Amino acid sequence: MALLELRNVSLQFGGLQVIQDLSLHVDEGEIVSVIGPNGAGKTTLFNLVTGVYGPDEGDIQLDGGSIAGLAPHVIARRGVARTFQTLRLFLNMTVKENVMAAAYPHTRSGVLRSIVRTPGMRREEREIEQLAEERLGFFGDRLMGYRWNQPAYSLSYANRRRLEIARATALKPRILLLDEPAAGMNPAETQEITELIGKLREEAGHTILVIEHDMHVVEGISDRVVALDHGEKIAEGSFDAVATNPRVVEAYLGLQATATK
Amino acid sequence: MTEIPNIPERPDTRDSPQIGRDEWVATHERRTAGERRLLATYNRVPPIARLAILAVLTIPVPFLLNTGDLYTFGLFAVLYALLGLGLNVTVGFAGLLDLGYIAFYGFGAYLYAIIASPHYDWHVQGEIAIPIVVVASALVGLLLGLPSRRLLGDYLAIVTLFFGQAFVFFVGTTNPRGLTGGANGIPDVDPLNFFGLHIRSYRGYYWFALAVFFVVLAGLWSLLRSRTGRAWQALREDPLAAELMGMPVNRLKLLAFAFGAAIAGLAGCIYAASAGSVASGSFDVPLLITIYAIVILGGTGSLTGVLLGAVVITVSYEILRPETPGTARVLFYLAVLAAVVWRVRPWTRLAAVLGGAVVFGFVVHWVAGAVSDSATSGEAISGGRFTGAIEHWVVIPAHPGKVPEYAYVGLVLAVLVLTRLRGWWRTSALVPTLYLVAFVWENILVDQPSVTRLILFGALLIALMIVRPQGLLGTSRVEIV
Amino acid sequence: MLLLIGVVVVALLAKEVHDPAKGWPVFWQLFVGGVTLGAVYALIALGYSLVYGILKLLNFAHGDVYMIGAFIGYGIVTAFGGSASLSISVWVLIALMVVGAMLGTGVLGVVIERFAYRPLREAPRIAPLISALGVSFFLQNSALLIFGASVRTYDSYNLGSANPGLGLPGPLFKTVFSLTSVPVSRATLLVVIGGLVLMLLLAVFVGRTRLGKAMRATAYDREAAAMMGIDVDRVIASTFFIGSALAGAAGVMYGIVFSQVFHFMGFLAGLKGFTAAVVGGIGSIPGAMIGGLLVGLAEVFASGYVSGNWANLIVFGMLIVVMLVRPSGLFGTRAIQKV
Repeated sequence: MALLELRNVSLQFGGLQVIQDLSLHVDEGEIVSVIGPNGAGKTTLFNLVTGVYGPDEGDIQLDGGSIAGLAPHVIARRGVARTFQTLRLFLNMTVKENVMAAAYPHTRSGVLRSIVRTPGMRREEREIEQLAEERLGFFGDRLMGYRWNQPAYSLSYANRRRLEIARATALKPRILLLDEPAAGMNPAETQEITELIGKLREEAGHTILVIEHDMHVVEGISDRVVALDHGEKIAEGSFDAVATNPRVVEAYLGLQATATK
Repeated sequence: MTEIPNIPERPDTRDSPQIGRDEWVATHERRTAGERRLLATYNRVPPIARLAILAVLTIPVPFLLNTGDLYTFGLFAVLYALLGLGLNVTVGFAGLLDLGYIAFYGFGAYLYAIIASPHYDWHVQGEIAIPIVVVASALVGLLLGLPSRRLLGDYLAIVTLFFGQAFVFFVGTTNPRGLTGGANGIPDVDPLNFFGLHIRSYRGYYWFALAVFFVVLAGLWSLLRSRTGRAWQALREDPLAAELMGMPVNRLKLLAFAFGAAIAGLAGCIYAASAGSVASGSFDVPLLITIYAIVILGGTGSLTGVLLGAVVITVSYEILRPETPGTARVLFYLAVLAAVVWRVRPWTRLAAVLGGAVVFGFVVHWVAGAVSDSATSGEAISGGRFTGAIEHWVVIPAHPGKVPEYAYVGLVLAVLVLTRLRGWWRTSALVPTLYLVAFVWENILVDQPSVTRLILFGALLIALMIVRPQGLLGTSRVEIV
Repeated sequence: MLLLIGVVVVALLAKEVHDPAKGWPVFWQLFVGGVTLGAVYALIALGYSLVYGILKLLNFAHGDVYMIGAFIGYGIVTAFGGSASLSISVWVLIALMVVGAMLGTGVLGVVIERFAYRPLREAPRIAPLISALGVSFFLQNSALLIFGASVRTYDSYNLGSANPGLGLPGPLFKTVFSLTSVPVSRATLLVVIGGLVLMLLLAVFVGRTRLGKAMRATAYDREAAAMMGIDVDRVIASTFFIGSALAGAAGVMYGIVFSQVFHFMGFLAGLKGFTAAVVGGIGSIPGAMIGGLLVGLAEVFASGYVSGNWANLIVFGMLIVVMLVRPSGLFGTRAIQKV
């Protein structure tokens, strides 16, 4: 059984069909990349999976259970975590607090216990802190030490992207959705991200669904690639198969390109 | 041939920042806070010590003030601070602009008045009444919060404003079946009564309110450093991201509303007991503006800032009391002086401005006196030591007619123009403007202190938003717009 | 859902009309009053809509601008002798009042925008809202300071009359025609028709002129408009001028029909004008007109059939209901948040 499965999902905004009869699946432990030209519906796909939109038709299943139409925080609690194409950090909170915030769904201390600071609540706080430190440690020294208490807005762009990934992993997700993790990065940073994604799977055992434009990254990480265009799946398979697929080339470069190929 | 430099291994950044870049980033906060060194030291004091200092400063107050002053200055400062704490939860932490907040205060006051007075002859004792009021207020807060799920920020503001107005209306005007006593409110409210122990003196209420304030302060402080507090902050930063990171945003919003409302209800309860009666007029927009001024002045999101804001506002409130124009005058001029000193640098320019204003004043006074006797023969509102001096400096006509009103409008325009000027234009324009300030003050403002204070609050809100939105003790925020 | 509410309202009205003690005459009387008030509210609502459309800002101070307009009118009435001894023709006076108020409040609106809102254009949403609250408070209390707390009156019933005090209406309140036995005075007609004319002018202006187009473009996407060479600052200032001028006109019109002006009138009128804007769909011009009409009718009918006290609550209730059931109002467009 696939970890995440979309079956014949469709979504419409007014008169515009943004997702059209889309079916795809991600198995446990896989890294799947989603590619496609701008406007193909890739981020919308993420929004559907995370519950920002509910599908008009079709079903979305996580671990065999349907998550279509559930509230986003419920879906997050069930194990779907994401990063954002345009960063959405909690800028005025510290680095550590950003990650600790995401530990919310798996903790239980209520308002009363928090105010009084029962031993149980304090133990939980320590655990949350440890979790955050651990997750931040995944990125080497970049987000460690004195950085923990820096406000998030003081981080460099690349560090902000890393922080967002760290925050997402604090949700202890079953599947991690990364939306253009390498956007705006120079070649060295891109290489790092590629390795990092691999590390996320190897060392932390995450299943990952990635939206990416940079084909180097896609090539370097993917077990499978799914290509979208105008809300439809136009190709699926290994990187080489999809990259050379004429429909995919046409979607990116236009008919002229395929004609001359 | 130049030697290729030996680039060392990336240093261990765990404990020491990279020289240059990281240090610059790390010291960002300290550098931008340069002028607030006091604040930095304050923040380094451990919280328990801070609480202790606060306690030491505030507990002896009843021994320093007479009863009347204690009531208006002391008790109300604490009540307003308490209200500010509650509003801080809703606005400062959850980021929900609640413009009907005072209605919760009124609700708590009225509810206590209804259950603990001869109104229906229920004389519920304090230890039962207070929990009832707190829980009921929280429930009302929940109810009000329900529409917040579907409303964007400014719409929520309007809806809450309406609720606030509806409350005042309902309680003061409609008075269904005599429930709320109409315009006269409910008199003869019982004093707080805990197991037979009555609080009857203002001192008692002051200490009780102070104790409640400290308890709430500590509770909130603790709550902020928990998962709920972080979730609230995340909600304020980016509600969508917070929801996607597993935080139930709607539930958190409702919780914030309920919390804020409960605190306000509690404050209202104390107010009703200490005042001995409630009437709808106390719970209207002027109070709302006051509490907002407190929260914003102190800095949204800063707990101690609220207390500071409350003190400043209450003191300024009472400065402009009709009975003591003398003190009011002194303090007003001091305040203006302080503002000028603070903003005009270097001291040579400052001296020029102040000296120029004094000279200008005397010249104008002399000219006016020469032109017409009645122009300067009016009397300053008497009181205080400086009346004589003032009468020789400020032009106070015997029959002012409409001139002060026009002068007021002129003053507003002058201040606006001042903000647009620079350099020596500004400095020179400052001189007649200062004199105009004195003129307007002596001829019209000092006469109507309650209105003046409200005008100043309004102007304060505008100025704060533009110049220092984070208030006195808040930290400057970075926002995605 | 709205349909259901509409049905309920019509049923309630029908019940009142069939009450023999009240019947049709009362209904038409209230109707006339409601339409008049509605015209006033519509003008206020238009100002809110215009400003919200272009800045996404709820201008709390708008109601107080309306109040200032009413006071300007009062000032002009007094300057020309007041109702007892008017030195010029009533009609000239009214024209002066309207023009004067519109100019005065227009300028006031521009000044407010320039000093209280423009510095906050890039600030988070809460900042200009609080600033607006401050402006509103400032204006209200400044009026209180200058004019005092007593209610001033245009005394429009007697305005320009040859024999005031005899109980006969002055030229403003002479009946023009009767709507099934309910007299409609010149003042009422003046306000309703005047309001309609202003609204039509606005619609034409926004729809046809270059500045109007610039306003619509800026409302749609400020950055793109700036890149197309539109002077955004000037467009926004013009929007405030027009919106505030309309509010000023509304203030004078209110004074003409209802006579009373006082420093606090802007608060409630502003809230109701805002209700009208929201009910009709904020950002929409026809919406503001229809919304104003609905709110005016609702208030007068409620005050006539239920009681004056509950009228305000009912109007507020209207707002709450609309916000919950259909936040975009009757004519508004739904906002889509891009993730």
